[in-house]
Order: sequence, then structure tokens, then C-alpha cells
Amino acid sequence: MADIALEPVEDLEFPDDTHATSTGISNTKMAMWVYLASDCLLFGGLISTYLLYKNRPGSIPGLAGSPLKASELFNIPFTSMTSFILLMSSLTMVLAVNAVMGGDHKRMRLWLSATCVLGGLFLAGQVYEFTEFVREGLGYTSNVSASAFYTLTGFHGAHVAIGIIMLFSAVGYSFRKQLQAEAVEVLGLYWHFVDIVWVVIFAIVYLIP
Amino acid sequence: MSTTVEELDDDSPVHPGEHHTHGPSTSTYFTIFWVLVAITALEVSTYFWSSWFGDGSHYPAVVLLVVMMVVKFILIASFFMHLRFDSKLLSRIFYFGLLVAMMVYVAALATMNIFTDNGNPWFNDPPPAVTTTTVAPAGG
Repeated sequence: MADIALEPVEDLEFPDDTHATSTGISNTKMAMWVYLASDCLLFGGLISTYLLYKNRPGSIPGLAGSPLKASELFNIPFTSMTSFILLMSSLTMVLAVNAVMGGDHKRMRLWLSATCVLGGLFLAGQVYEFTEFVREGLGYTSNVSASAFYTLTGFHGAHVAIGIIMLFSAVGYSFRKQLQAEAVEVLGLYWHFVDIVWVVIFAIVYLIP
Repeated sequence: MSTTVEELDDDSPVHPGEHHTHGPSTSTYFTIFWVLVAITALEVSTYFWSSWFGDGSHYPAVVLLVVMMVVKFILIASFFMHLRFDSKLLSRIFYFGLLVAMMVYVAALATMNIFTDNGNPWFNDPPPAVTTTTVAPAGG
């Protein structure tokens, strides 16, 4: 029986850190896109619930609550500013991805840190907005309209907070070990999705009368 | 054994092992950003629509807002998320998920009269007043 020389796995023709997949797209990236597509359903449900209840603050028998609506308390100039901040964070994120693609890890760290700061500012703005609403008498359980509003914007805020934690981790990790370009790209996908969701929330919840 | 990229995915511009340096340039990203800022400013200006054109004329503003929202959405997804430059499969996955979500929720909202607020008490309006009838005792 002739000896068969087995080729070591490392010598296959897929270079560096990538794995062969039937689609030609890495599993990590594909998983992130599938997750983002499924997250559309989550936010779709929350936005629909808000639309159903926004003008019916005290309409469920037995759950009347306060007649105050969140839309009566909106501070549009302030929310426009926080929207601008989130848009800017998308720009810094894409510049971070661009930097890591070009192998410039120092600049990548700078842009990722800037994204963290801008995300933090957006979250601070949201906390300030919620505090003002509560001060005006609109708590989470004031009525169904308020609950729907806080749940929707709160879930978005939670997504931003998780994004900030991931960005911080990426910056910290990059000091110890070189980050793979794809990891930053996937992180960027998540961050841009958070921005896209805010684009929809800002128009539908805050601006449409 | 040799597996070529063409065997894996014919219509994909992204090949295994490649870094995606073929995306837009930095100046394109800045251009897209300023376009997004301009659209956002236009969106915010519609907030004052009723003070310019009167209270009863907000429907054009709603249509404009939805159009501007969709344009912003597509710009971010295409350029910042690289969908325009990545495999078409990713666009299909994302936009299919989005389409399914929209169809499900538009159908759900339509069944709950959100688009035709015609006073139908079926959803969420106060229930009709309960009328009580007294039955006279038998043999009285």
C-alpha cells in the first residue's frame, strides 16, 4: 500500500485568517448580517407598538393613567443635536474601518476612541431627555404611550451601550494584540445599524406629527 | 487540492482572504456624511411645517419625511456598511429581513386601524356602555 502524503491544513490556498465558506463570505460577517436582519423585526415591533399607542395615552379601560403624551414634551432642537452626534459617530467608525483596512492601527484606535466618546455623548443626551420627561411627570408606567416610548428608545439606548462596551474592548484589545480587520469591520456593521435604527426612530417617533 | 474563488461564489465581488480595500475613499465618506447632515437638517425643518402652511396640511410633510428617512437609510447601508461594494448575498439577507419586518408590521397596524382612524371601537377605544336589563320574576 502506497503512502499518501497528507497536505497540512495550513498549506491550503486560503490565506491568513480566513476560512473557506461555500458563499465566499466569512461566517462572522454573515452571522452579523443575519443578526442585523433579525434585529429589524425587534425594532419593527417596538416602533409599531409606539405608533399604536402614541395618541392613546389613557385609552385602555382600567389602565387610564396620565393623559400626558411623550410627543408633547419632545425637545426637537436637542434631539436633532444628539442625532447629529450619532451621525458623526458613524463617520468616525467608518474611518476606523478604513484605517484598519490600510493597516494603520494607530489611527484605527484614535477613530474607535472617538466613536466611543460620541456614542457616550448620545447616551448622556438620552439620559438627560428621560430625566426631563420624568421631571415633567411622564414616568415609565404613567400610561401605555409612555411605556411604549421608553421601551423603544430604551432598547435603542441599550444597543448603543452594548456598542460602546464592544468598542472599548476592541481598543483595549488592540493594545495587547493586533486586531483583525474583519473584527473591526463587523463591529462597524453593528454600530452603523444602531445609527440606521435611530434614523428611523428620529423621523417616525420625533418628527412625524 | 485547489479551490478557486470562482467556484465558491460567482457573483460575489468579495473573495475569501481579501481585505476590502476596494471600498469608497475617505473623501467619499465625508461627502456622504455631509449629505446625511443636510438631509437631517431638512427633516428637522419639516417640524415647523404646520406653522408655515397651517395645521391641516401636514400630510406632504409626512411623505417628505418618509422619503428622506429612506434615502438616509439607503446611503448609510450602501456606503458606511459597504453593502454596495460587498457580496450581493449580504444585501439580499438584510433587505429581505427588513422587507419581512415591514410587511408583518404594516399588516398588523392595518388590522388595528392605525391608518384609518375612523372611530371603530374594535381596537383600543373605550368599550360601548354596558346596558343592564332587569328581568321580572316569573309568576309575579
